[in-house]
Amino acid sequence: MAEELERSVLVGRLTRPISGLMATTYRWVDERLGVTDLVHQLLYEAVPRRGAWAYSLGSATLILIVLQIVTGMFLLWTYVPSTTEAWLSLNFIEHHDEFAAIVRGMHLWGAYILFVVIGLHMVRTFVSGSYKKPRELNWIVGVVLFLLVLGLGITGAMLPWDQAAYWTATVVTHVVDYFPIFGTQLQEILRGGPQMGPATLTRFFAIHIWLLPALLVPLIGLHLILLRRHGEHGSWVNYEGVEEETEAERAERMARAEAPYPALPSDPGYAVPMDLDDFFPSQVFKDALVSFGLVLLIFIMAIVIGAPIERAANPAALNYVPTPEWFFLPLDQLLVQFPQAWMIPVGVFILPGIGTTLLILVPFLDRTPGRQPWRRPEVMVPALFVLLFLIFEAMLAVNRLFNL
Amino acid sequence: MSRRRFMIMGINAAGAATGLLIAAPIVGDILSPVFYKSKQPWVMVADIRHVPVGVPTAYVVMLNDSGDAWQVPAVPRTVYVVKANLSNAVQLITLSNVCTHMQCDVHWDVNLQVFLCPCHGGLYSMIGTNIGGPPPQPLFRYQHKLVGTTLYVRNVLTEGQ
Repeated sequence: MAEELERSVLVGRLTRPISGLMATTYRWVDERLGVTDLVHQLLYEAVPRRGAWAYSLGSATLILIVLQIVTGMFLLWTYVPSTTEAWLSLNFIEHHDEFAAIVRGMHLWGAYILFVVIGLHMVRTFVSGSYKKPRELNWIVGVVLFLLVLGLGITGAMLPWDQAAYWTATVVTHVVDYFPIFGTQLQEILRGGPQMGPATLTRFFAIHIWLLPALLVPLIGLHLILLRRHGEHGSWVNYEGVEEETEAERAERMARAEAPYPALPSDPGYAVPMDLDDFFPSQVFKDALVSFGLVLLIFIMAIVIGAPIERAANPAALNYVPTPEWFFLPLDQLLVQFPQAWMIPVGVFILPGIGTTLLILVPFLDRTPGRQPWRRPEVMVPALFVLLFLIFEAMLAVNRLFNL
Repeated sequence: MSRRRFMIMGINAAGAATGLLIAAPIVGDILSPVFYKSKQPWVMVADIRHVPVGVPTAYVVMLNDSGDAWQVPAVPRTVYVVKANLSNAVQLITLSNVCTHMQCDVHWDVNLQVFLCPCHGGLYSMIGTNIGGPPPQPLFRYQHKLVGTTLYVRNVLTEGQ
């Protein structure tokens, strides 16, 4: 009965302002297409009530990725992926096409804010132990999505073909030269030849606008399907007192669970949050406000600072220092700290490789029973050290590059 | 107002505002060619002493397309230089050879003494007036200037007569 009422409210919302003919048309389409059912399925489900503002980081990530796709589409109205025209086309935007310059600024600042939001989303998920069973696979999908976004960041930075882009691309593509046995061949594959050239730009352009997005979009779909399958775990604040629960209390909590709960197979007590709320409108409201705030920030940064473009790429440069994008500063610092032929692979492959592997294996390494971060020092303390190490490396890199 | 109602209104407002922030620069970007005026340089055509009176003469000049933004390589365009004897005064006209009907390429037909369009049979007089076939208006004219006897044109078109 309540569901019928909700449904009619929704249909009313979709059709109220328009005339009887439009309402009839909507009903005709809806009976055949099932729009209302779909919207109903997407909007009406239970989510954890407590800590909901923190859970808007995931939807904010999604909105920012959509922003990147949309602004990217319109950058293609002007950008030419060719070493002779890439810089000319973007330089034209910066000096003669104010609106395209804003779109370009939003693409750059959208990427920067996206990295911050993804980072917070991962930290939030890690701290709340949301990767525990049955959500291990969704953590892994999330790590892969993070790696794809890193790839999009580095390939995107190469496309302007100004000094920064050219020399960043030179360094990044030369890193693979140190790969054991096949290094030289790998570098030739990435560059389209032994040296940087037209084929380098076209393949990184293809990777940036097609290959990585084509992997990213379906994996986002999988991420969301898995989220809906097991429901949001939320964080420990939604499970306070589960240890003291009696069997009967727990059974009663499971019995009045709303879809998609109970999440199974969960540890006892963690299948259903103590307190549930409606995804729509309660969670969507918070999501919409957070996403709006972030897009507003990106818009302001695009207008106030914009996306700088340096001078055109000059392969004959004498003393140009390429500054990596800030999210690659820790890796750049490793290049300095691991000199000499035999140590370089440690800095560029082995250490980042170990880090990535550990990140993927987090759900299997964390054998602690609880969800509260202070009751999981076995994972929280090493993770904190890794985070501090990355920040420390980034600070060393900043000090080296900018002589602060 | 109920809590639920307030949140739904908030969602609509935030959603609309977010969409507006994303759409505004993109719409501006789409419309910008309408407002962008490219600066066209003068390009040398010929010494007009070599152009006979009463015979439209074709020259190929390298012009930047209007609205070409950053493109450096110019594209070849035909300019018909006409010295027309009109009411005892010789008038210098630099005609575009782009038909005003469907933008095909017209040429001067010596036998018929008209500009003829091969696509749909458009006809223009020596000074570019549309005198037969489907063309709705006369041939466009390039802006030109004379420095001494040297003729220059630039890729700014004016309507013909």
